Amino acid sequence: MDITSLFAQFLSGLTYGTILFLVAAGLSLIFGVMNILNFAHAALWLMGAYFSYTFWNWMQGNSFSFWLSIPLAGVAAAAVGWVIEVVLIKRIYKRELYEQLLITYSIALIISDTIKLTWGVTNKLIVRPEIIQKPVFIFGAPLDSYFLVVIAAGAAVAAGLWWFLKYTRYGHIVKAAVFSREMVGALGIPIPRIYTWVFTLGIFLAGFAGGIQAPIGSITLGMDTAIIIQAFCVVVIGGFGSLLGTLVGSLIVGEVLSFTILFWPDGAMVLIFIITALILIVRPWGLFGTPMRI
Amino acid sequence: MKFRKKTAFFVTILICSSFFFIAGATAAEKYHFGVALGLTGTGALYSADQVEAIKLAVEEINAKGGFLGRHAIELFIRDTQTKPDVGVREVKDLILRDKIRTVINDYSSAVALAVKPIAQEYKVLHIAAISNSENITMINPSPYTFQVVPNTYMQAKASAVAVAKMAKAKGWKEYITMASDYEWGRSTQAEAVKVLKEMAPNLVLKKEFWPRLGETQFTSYITGIMALKPDFVFGILASNDNVAWIEQAKTYGFFDKIAYPGSLISVTELILQAKTLPRNIIALTRAPFFAHLDNPLMADFVKNYRAKYNKFPSDWAVMGYDAVYALKQGVEKANSIDTEKVKDSMRGLSVNLTRGKLAFRAIDNQLSCSSYVGTIADDPKYPFPIYKDIIEVKGSESERPESEIVAARKAAKK
Repeated sequence: MDITSLFAQFLSGLTYGTILFLVAAGLSLIFGVMNILNFAHAALWLMGAYFSYTFWNWMQGNSFSFWLSIPLAGVAAAAVGWVIEVVLIKRIYKRELYEQLLITYSIALIISDTIKLTWGVTNKLIVRPEIIQKPVFIFGAPLDSYFLVVIAAGAAVAAGLWWFLKYTRYGHIVKAAVFSREMVGALGIPIPRIYTWVFTLGIFLAGFAGGIQAPIGSITLGMDTAIIIQAFCVVVIGGFGSLLGTLVGSLIVGEVLSFTILFWPDGAMVLIFIITALILIVRPWGLFGTPMRI
Repeated sequence: MKFRKKTAFFVTILICSSFFFIAGATAAEKYHFGVALGLTGTGALYSADQVEAIKLAVEEINAKGGFLGRHAIELFIRDTQTKPDVGVREVKDLILRDKIRTVINDYSSAVALAVKPIAQEYKVLHIAAISNSENITMINPSPYTFQVVPNTYMQAKASAVAVAKMAKAKGWKEYITMASDYEWGRSTQAEAVKVLKEMAPNLVLKKEFWPRLGETQFTSYITGIMALKPDFVFGILASNDNVAWIEQAKTYGFFDKIAYPGSLISVTELILQAKTLPRNIIALTRAPFFAHLDNPLMADFVKNYRAKYNKFPSDWAVMGYDAVYALKQGVEKANSIDTEKVKDSMRGLSVNLTRGKLAFRAIDNQLSCSSYVGTIADDPKYPFPIYKDIIEVKGSESERPESEIVAARKAAKK
């Protein structure tokens, strides 16, 4: 196997890792700050993909429809996320973990049915602008030109979140809440409001990731069930609540999956689960996470 | 005077008898014909096309007086919502309330399998014209159920047979399989590999890929396969997965470099995805009208269908139309609309349809219809791509051997 083919496989892993990062970033943020394991995250990601299709459809004929539909999908999903937080999630902060899991799992089912009722069961397809319909070649390795957009979006989200957490007041509060929400509350900062906005931001990221995913293939019901498992693997490997961990975890999962598909197709997912299990045993808080608060 | 009386008497008799004759002819029993398809839900698109073609066939037959020239057909159309429970409910209602003698059903094999015992119980003919699970006719066979669409086994085998022929013609040496990782994908892949080994023993299976069912990201598979440089990839991917795969692979220029036979792409997709479907992809379909335009029956059907609906007929329309005409020929052979007689006459019956001269196999009531494999390419005659270099794999080349059917039935009884 020549070096170009291996590089092409690396690029495939990088793009898949970026897609996983976009999905897992919000999941990790929500768990890190709020201690809520949001099983509905991927369902909202899928809803973002459908929102993106709707916006693209509404604006068809305009040259910007494709590009605008992606952030709009994030905004629409964030609005749904805000309602979910205010109406449901807010009431379960102090409940047991299993109750939280049941609630978020129920929300995932409700969202899936809502998608079915709203958009129907037929596949939805977004036609890309001509400029991103053909492959590009990087050192001779082919890459779907849209994946340059995906990688750029992933890098922008990573940089934006890093900037937000490092340089803004709200970012500092969020980081502090990851370590000790009691202390943050004791300083007079309204924790419930912070939670609402963190949840909304997390779901914005999910919706945005859905919008990014939409033009890759067709949008179909059930897409969310597979990606949520892999997103959980990412955050377990990287560490819940750690932005760097999520990024590294995503790239590990993406690359491992990509190269295992090439060399050991039968064991592609198995290897990911083995790594996840090993991390859970040896370092339960992940590569870059912090031990769970008590 | 006596002569006049006699004449008047005979004239009266003559008038009365001709009145009864005419009245008898016009009052011949109507043929109640049920159609229960998934008009909403996943099957809506294909089912709507089929209903249109059925209506056209019925209009044509009724214009000549109906079945046997005297039994006008009355259509009763119901929506099964592509759900087995709704399908059973609607078909029962068609049987009990509307007194149908035949039902065309369904888009979904699950619905057709649920309706099969109902049709048998009430002794109503049941024709599957979209759904194509082999089990509709293979296991627990019903003498009332007929299938006019190539079944799952025939399609899978046809695909492999066509690829073996292509491999010989094009000098292909190595291939890769990519099949959805579940029962259907695994068994179809095994069957395809077996057929390829028998028909093209020099072909080497280089690697097997098993993307899980519901896979949305095929990027690593695409680059991985391109790195291995096979002559072709035999694809056995479930519907949504196949769409995702095609969409992603085409952006890599995959289909320009590696032949990819195996996809099921019907005329509906050729029309609806005319702009986005990659060209040069090798695909499989069930009843493309353009493969039989040399048959006057097909040419007339296409002409009339276009005149009535202002569009080209899909595979589903062709098979719906053929279903009605197969039944018509069954009625004619029985010379009766009596369901028992028609059922018996259709068993093993040779029929003349838009897809040519075909026959129902006596062992399973499966029509010996062909499957079609070709390369998707543009044609100036049509506003959508069609299949070029079509390989028509006849029913006789793709049917499951009767001995295997007998064995499967025995095994199912245990």
